[in-house]
Amino acid sequence: MDRNQRPRSIIDSLGEELIAILTPVSICMFTVVLLVCILNSDPSSSSSASFSSIATAAYSESDSDSSWDKFVGAFLNSLVFVAAITVATFVLVLLFYLRCVKFLKFYMGFSAFIVLGNLGGEILVLLIDRFRFPIDCITFLILLFNFSVVGVFAVFMSKFSILVTQGYLVWIGVLVAYFFTLLPEWTTWVLLVALALYDIAAVLLPVGPLRLLVEMAISRDEDIPALVYEARPVIRNDSRLVQRRVWRERRSSQNDNDDIEDRTNRNEVVRVVRSAEVDEERVGSSERAEISVPLIDRRPDQVENSETFLEGIGLGSSGAIKLGLGDFIFYSVLVGRAAMYDLMTVYACYLAIIAGLGITLMLLSVYQKALPALPVSIMLGVVFYFLARLLLEVFVVQCSSNLVMF
Amino acid sequence: MEDSRSDDPNLNPIRNRNPNPTPNPLSTIISSAQVWPTIDGPLGLTEEASVDYARRFYKFGFALLPWLWFVNCFYFWPVLRHARAFPQIRNYVVRSAIGFSVFTALLSAWALTFSIGGEQLFGPVYDKLVMYNVADRLGLSGLA
Repeated sequence: MDRNQRPRSIIDSLGEELIAILTPVSICMFTVVLLVCILNSDPSSSSSASFSSIATAAYSESDSDSSWDKFVGAFLNSLVFVAAITVATFVLVLLFYLRCVKFLKFYMGFSAFIVLGNLGGEILVLLIDRFRFPIDCITFLILLFNFSVVGVFAVFMSKFSILVTQGYLVWIGVLVAYFFTLLPEWTTWVLLVALALYDIAAVLLPVGPLRLLVEMAISRDEDIPALVYEARPVIRNDSRLVQRRVWRERRSSQNDNDDIEDRTNRNEVVRVVRSAEVDEERVGSSERAEISVPLIDRRPDQVENSETFLEGIGLGSSGAIKLGLGDFIFYSVLVGRAAMYDLMTVYACYLAIIAGLGITLMLLSVYQKALPALPVSIMLGVVFYFLARLLLEVFVVQCSSNLVMF
Repeated sequence: MEDSRSDDPNLNPIRNRNPNPTPNPLSTIISSAQVWPTIDGPLGLTEEASVDYARRFYKFGFALLPWLWFVNCFYFWPVLRHARAFPQIRNYVVRSAIGFSVFTALLSAWALTFSIGGEQLFGPVYDKLVMYNVADRLGLSGLA
């Protein structure tokens, strides 16, 4: 029976599907580490963040505070952030309940354009500035415009070249993740842990917003548009050929006073991407549901935008593994923040995250329902970062300076 | 929901480039000897939808979007390869390819002139146009 085949099909081609999902995650992390190493190696850049976002609303870290102050401040920041995300997710649930799907899709496309154009443009300008690349502004604007508009097409339209869409999703993840690494250090770590806990709560608790969203989607048999990375479905010779590739994209936002145009880069606010994806697949009916959590972006003049990415891991109706974009982003934030210390911590955190992702995939094949992909990887990543920084580094440095190893 | 099935082991899931000079009617996607118009093969569009897509991308590309033309050609690469298979789509894809080449030639001519010529060719205008100066003036490069 098909019902018995489905668990086997996951494990049968597990290697191929695993690679299909590990490759984009690795590319995303690698690109973020590269950007961090290139753009942050300038010693003249100030260490205090001139960078305000909702995640630093409660407390902005400065070097002179004591550790306890920093920790308390970071904790408050994370609380504010998670609270904002929860509110935004519930608004999303409400919008989905009221069937404002067109509005969500439109906003998603619009946000994709803003992220690609604005954040992408900033990164490119930073790179041009760093390397003194002699490009003129007309060419630059044309290229940026092209890139952004095609990106909007890629995430907006359901039937588009798989490779191009995947590339754009990874690139959006890289952009948002890079901006998240600009948060102060303590805030970043406490925020990651807080988001991992929130993810568990939102996806698994019956009152969690993501779970509500999924259940609504299931009951209506609708797709939630959201930003989700879906690996190319593997077509096996013995099983059915899946014709439909399902892309779901969604962004939802709340705009108070939308004032996108006159934003300055100094006060650029990073969008926070949080999402969770719950995907349930049953053989035969192949119902799917997705949950997404809003991406929040707040400017100093209190404009609030949110977008949704999907986070969490699940199975597409074609059997392909789907991973929400928020997962990409937060894995990359962790690795990027590790890169700011040393490359040794990058290796440790990368391995930890990949191991966590593997564990999550195995749990996915066991439980056959959507799971939050953040908790295991983030917890392992954080633990390994601190172990590497506090214990491993001392050991390795001593060994190599005495020429015992390496 | 899974739409259709094929048990043909010859079906290459990623890139289906089976050369087939006689296109089948595409209302039922069953035969494995069929040429798919898109680069995604069986995961991509059907032929009718492809014509619509190709036309829309071609028209949108006129809004200073050569990259869209390139993506159009990339997506419908099998159409370019099998010359006789999809006459309608091919029309738009070839025009997109031409448009992309022309635009790229013009743009790269300008960009190369600018970067190689530099200050000697342009004089004071160079400093006004070059990106890192524009960024400095607008305060874009001082992010963190």
